[in-house]
Amino acid sequence: MVNVAVIVKLEPDFSEGNVSYNPDGTLNRAETKSILGPHSAIACNAAFYTKITYGSRISIGTMGPPIADSALKQAQELTDADEMNLYSDRIFAGADTLATAEVLRSGIVKMLDGNKIDIVFSGHRASDGETGQTGPQTAWKLGYTFLGNVIEVNIDLERNYVIVKRLVMLQGFDGIVEEVEAPLPVFITVDPSYSPNYRTIYQRLAFAKYRKEAIARANNYKQFLKIYDSKSLGVDPKFVGLPGSPTIVYRVEKIPKAKASRKAQLIEGQDIDAIKSIVPKLRPIVS
Amino acid sequence: MVTESFSNNSGGKYRNLYVVIEHIEGKLVPVSLEMLGEARRLMDDFNQRYQESERVVAVVLGYKVQDLCQQLISYGADVVVYAENKELEYSRNTIDTKVIAQISRDAGLAKQISPEYIPPYIKPRYMFFAADSIGRHLSSTVLAELESGLASDINKLVISDIDFRHEHKTKGQTIRYERTLEMYRPDFSGFLWTTILCLDNKNPEIMRDYHPQGCSIIPGVFNAIEPDIAREGLILQYKPTIDPEDLKVKVLNKQMLKKKIDFDGHRIIVSMGRGIKDDPEQNVKLIEQFARLLDAEIGISLPLSKRLYQLSDSINSKYMIPERVIGTSGSKVAPSFYIATGIHGAVQHIAGMKESEFVVAINPDENAPIKDESDLFINGRMEDVLPIIIEELQKLTPIVSSHME
Repeated sequence: MVNVAVIVKLEPDFSEGNVSYNPDGTLNRAETKSILGPHSAIACNAAFYTKITYGSRISIGTMGPPIADSALKQAQELTDADEMNLYSDRIFAGADTLATAEVLRSGIVKMLDGNKIDIVFSGHRASDGETGQTGPQTAWKLGYTFLGNVIEVNIDLERNYVIVKRLVMLQGFDGIVEEVEAPLPVFITVDPSYSPNYRTIYQRLAFAKYRKEAIARANNYKQFLKIYDSKSLGVDPKFVGLPGSPTIVYRVEKIPKAKASRKAQLIEGQDIDAIKSIVPKLRPIVS
Repeated sequence: MVTESFSNNSGGKYRNLYVVIEHIEGKLVPVSLEMLGEARRLMDDFNQRYQESERVVAVVLGYKVQDLCQQLISYGADVVVYAENKELEYSRNTIDTKVIAQISRDAGLAKQISPEYIPPYIKPRYMFFAADSIGRHLSSTVLAELESGLASDINKLVISDIDFRHEHKTKGQTIRYERTLEMYRPDFSGFLWTTILCLDNKNPEIMRDYHPQGCSIIPGVFNAIEPDIAREGLILQYKPTIDPEDLKVKVLNKQMLKKKIDFDGHRIIVSMGRGIKDDPEQNVKLIEQFARLLDAEIGISLPLSKRLYQLSDSINSKYMIPERVIGTSGSKVAPSFYIATGIHGAVQHIAGMKESEFVVAINPDENAPIKDESDLFINGRMEDVLPIIIEELQKLTPIVSSHME
């Protein structure tokens, strides 16, 4: 049995119709509701793939305020998780990535009754913080091999290895797909382009079965929920929240507008003839 | 009011700026030289202002990398530390992190780098990484190992003395933090700059030093300096301790991805932004049709890569992807014609398209910053304007296709 963890995050919903912006173009946090982050959802898909294909046990963890349990519920619907963990304490507030990683590390070692987690999945980055640091830093604190930008996951159950494909993009070079193997345990951040591939009949049947179970479980998600504070997690308050954060946000400002570099000729949207007049400009290039 | 003054350089415990260099197949990734350029400018100013002689140290890991070292000196490094080992041929997170941490902590090496400084030395003062598929993760694990702070995706850097008061960091006292790296990162909207600082805890109850002050830098933002082959510097080989336990990851094979998006091979680029919002699926189809008629490549603004809209899977996976982003977080382009539809014009986007020869913007907001970067501004919604142009272009189509045959 492979033990799998997924680290998720509750994030503002940036999708059209749900997100609200202030007049200056910044996010209106009060008016924007929160959901399971899209990259977290992709990490959930990868974990569910391991359940269907290898029969793994899944535990989900998140750090956040009490309402972050809604992200866990959504994640359970995607993964059919056996257990969910909310790490919530006032003293965790304001944590940067290093202090967050400390909480997540402490949480992961307690998952599934302290059984060793073989694979931890997390998203590529959060949509709001966008640092992409929390995954690799948690991996480092756990002492797990870190594999980033993963687009395909296979497990060799006999050797206790993963074989994964990773996407490596470097400035000025063609992208590379790198196939690597590593012994378990590993920590994987899933690339945004990941999409599970259910090829066999067995996988498709298992998918249908577990999906049904997942919806039923998510309706009673509180039954599967464990809530930890700093004491029950056993973390040192000096290493979490603001005291444990090397970095702080010092200032937020509008990026100044660039100096106008061109003087635009203005055409009104109702002026059909003027709009048509741009076509001859394009013509010598097109033909 | 400043009640107490602390110096970050007491005894020279933390010194120099370490730049972690990336290379592939014997070639430097351009961002490495860009980081060196910015490091040079910052440290020249730093040394003059503080009467110091701290160095820009390029750190290179790899196999057969000696040839790169001289190049790094000519691009602004004072010192190059290279770790040469067959096991370091490909970038692998665990072993690379361990070796960089060894180099960062090595007091003997620090003495070689700057013999005039008095010990003790503990760690670098500042550290730069590239914000790409390698550096983004490497910076995270190195700073976790060195137990210090990291800011990611930076596009502006300033070193200054900052008077600062904080409930936790300073226990409410105002304290002067000297030689602090102000790390600016643009946020997801493209309109806000957040300045991140990595600061020691001066509060006696949670006293802790946080060095190096680390960041990852967006490729394409800073300029490399003009290389000077006569420039002199110190090249040091470092013999890392390699634990077989850290070599568990094996690279089985590497495959080049065929480039699907070709901005350089097209004379016209049509790009779209949040202006597709009123009817996303239909508007993307309009753009597709428009681009096909012009034989144009299609670009997007950064927010679209975050999949903001309900769109069919085929459109999402074809267009709403990071590879199509034009701007500092994506590609820089310079076509003969750049047509920005429904793009507001965040500074980051403009940085990616301002070299275009002729710019047309289609936007219903006459105050959108994209107007100041346009030669022609059509004040209207894309769904109203594009059909008019498309209809006109279709009249041209026979001419186009006869030329293309």
